[in-house]
Amino acid sequence: MNLKKVLSPDAVWVDLKADSKQGVIEEMIDRLVASGKISDRDAVLTAVLEREAKMSTGMQNGVAIPHGKSDSVKSLVAAVGLHKEGVKFDSMDGSPCTIFIMTISPTKRTGPHIQFLAEVSRLISQPAEREKLLAARTHGEIYEILTGK
Amino acid sequence: MLKSALVALLFTAASLGAAFAESTETHQGTAQSEIHAAAEAEVPHHHGEISDGHEQHEATHADEHVEEHEAHSITHLMMHLILQLAVIIVAAKIGGYIFQKFLKMPSVLGELASGMVIGPYALGKLIDIPTLGLLFPLNTVHDFAASPQLYGIATLASIILLFLAGLETDLAAFIRYSVVGSFVGLGGLVAAFVIGDLVAVMWPGNGIDSFMDPAALFLGVISVATSVGITARILAEKRKMASPEGVTILAGAVFDDVFGIITLAIVMGMAKVSAGEGVAWGPICMIALKAIGFFVVVTALGLIFSRKITALIKRFKSKDMIVAVCFGLALLLASLAEMAGLAMIIGAYIMGLALSRTDLAHEIEHHLEGVYNILVPIFFCVMGMMVDFIAMKPVLAFGAVYSILAVFSKVVGCGVPAFMMKFNLRGSLRIGLGMLPRGEVALIVAGIGLAGGVIGPEMFGVAIMMTVITTMLAPPLLVKSFEGGSGLRTEMAGGEEDIEVIELEFPSYDITEFLLNRFVRALQAEEFFVHHLHTEQPTYRVLKDDIAFTLVEEDNKLIINVPHANQHVARMILLEELLSLTDLLESTKQMKDVDKMGTDLMQGMFA
Repeated sequence: MNLKKVLSPDAVWVDLKADSKQGVIEEMIDRLVASGKISDRDAVLTAVLEREAKMSTGMQNGVAIPHGKSDSVKSLVAAVGLHKEGVKFDSMDGSPCTIFIMTISPTKRTGPHIQFLAEVSRLISQPAEREKLLAARTHGEIYEILTGK
Repeated sequence: MLKSALVALLFTAASLGAAFAESTETHQGTAQSEIHAAAEAEVPHHHGEISDGHEQHEATHADEHVEEHEAHSITHLMMHLILQLAVIIVAAKIGGYIFQKFLKMPSVLGELASGMVIGPYALGKLIDIPTLGLLFPLNTVHDFAASPQLYGIATLASIILLFLAGLETDLAAFIRYSVVGSFVGLGGLVAAFVIGDLVAVMWPGNGIDSFMDPAALFLGVISVATSVGITARILAEKRKMASPEGVTILAGAVFDDVFGIITLAIVMGMAKVSAGEGVAWGPICMIALKAIGFFVVVTALGLIFSRKITALIKRFKSKDMIVAVCFGLALLLASLAEMAGLAMIIGAYIMGLALSRTDLAHEIEHHLEGVYNILVPIFFCVMGMMVDFIAMKPVLAFGAVYSILAVFSKVVGCGVPAFMMKFNLRGSLRIGLGMLPRGEVALIVAGIGLAGGVIGPEMFGVAIMMTVITTMLAPPLLVKSFEGGSGLRTEMAGGEEDIEVIELEFPSYDITEFLLNRFVRALQAEEFFVHHLHTEQPTYRVLKDDIAFTLVEEDNKLIINVPHANQHVARMILLEELLSLTDLLESTKQMKDVDKMGTDLMQGMFA
């Protein structure tokens, strides 16, 4: 899968700042609102939090994949953010999360929504790639690492 | 299986009842017509113009006429047909059941075997029914083992079979997938055709001396069509469907289907032209062009207009109507194909292929399933009935060689391209063996050849022999070949053989089934191609770009066989569907109190 088709350079951030689970989710959504990718902030936030309530999307090795479905987006919106210090995210292995992959997908449209999450997860499941990503200093570097292949 | 056996039994009981009622009715009818004939015979007497001798002669003639009339009256013929069908359906279903359940062989073989047993060359000539004669007499008019009316039903069954085969073809996946698959399919096709034809030419004493002899061409085309159902079942059982070999075999088989049909179209045309003396290349090329042209043009038109046509048909709003009209169209195209000098099954297949891309495909498949289960075994049973054991005696050696070469041609024809692409010897052998079994289409083609007089009963027997041998050989050989390591060349392997098995067990079959359906829908929403394979266990092949995995439902378990590299996507999509179950639980809580609903439902029923 070509990640470039889904991920745009203005939706990768190296500097997430919030210090709580809800905070990180809100911050990512706010940034997507600011770049004009999302119009209805509250609807999207509710969708993502509802999904988190069912089961936390904090995985292992510091990776989290918060996502949700909402009709306020017309096509898949994707973002990747880093939080160098790490945030507690109720992850499976209990460790704080540093890499956040977010998707918001329309409820009725078909498309590779979960597949995007899976592809990024697959990429960063390799320790070397994960470390490379965490060492990134600029937004552009993250984008390069994720889409360079 | 038990269910369909039961249905067949009920169906038979009904037709036996019908035949019995018909028989009584015919007797009454005969009595009436005797009176009528007697009255008629008396007519000249009243006129007093004919001598006594003449009178007697007229009377005897009238009697004979009545008897003959009775034997050929439509009701009598139909009664005979219904009785034959009764016996055929039960025998075929029981044969199929025994083969599938106890011998672990495809039911087709059992249906064929029961046909051989009850046919006119075996038990059939011993079953003599008073007032009716032989149950399965030889059709002396057409020198054929089945009456025209019985063969008509078998023909209808073959059309349904090919219509459904076309409908199930995953054309998009076929176009997008696997260069290796298409080379493997094409290699097997060419090798099987050429070797099948050549062995007929080279074998001394069978009267075939030219590559272009229609009988040789038919023996070539009969050995082409792979029946991948049995391979799919074994791959599923051995958890090898998502392996590189499995994916290649299944892609190759789709290719084999489509191009096998085109080859048949060409050969049908060629056989008609080259029936005379010498080889007329000009007309043959024309025929080949016409056959390919018909296939390509009609399929293209079908694909382009199928959505428009189905949109039109959908205006009927009733599913029954929609399915019936689509089936009617399949029959129409079948007869058009025959008129164009091709075979009816080709038209039926094209109609299926055209509709396979529409949203009606699943609906039509589902609705025709019942008809398929009853009619298609009749077809195979009738094919079995046509095996003339005595005619086969002199060609047994030829049959054995033809069958062995049919094994060889697929193993080499499919194995070599596989070896040249990315597989090692082991992998290539697996692929060749996977493409080995011939089945339904081979039988249909052989039947067409026999009915058209292109091949005689002995060559028909040889074709059946080859089908049976290849189908029986494939499972043990394939299982054996999958022992051992990777089938990919070392430099290509790269851990691809690494198949993860994800197993989820649920408390009940209903929940398993429910989640399976949700998962399939979610995969489709993610734009995966999900292909339902007709194996004993519900099995799905999931494809998208370079991702391929399989999904099997086994009792209360959902089993996913996925290459290690693709496990993320399978696991994540499945997780989302599992979580959606909680939504469902929530919403059931919001339902009115179930007790109250139940009480409302039963209120007043026992007042």
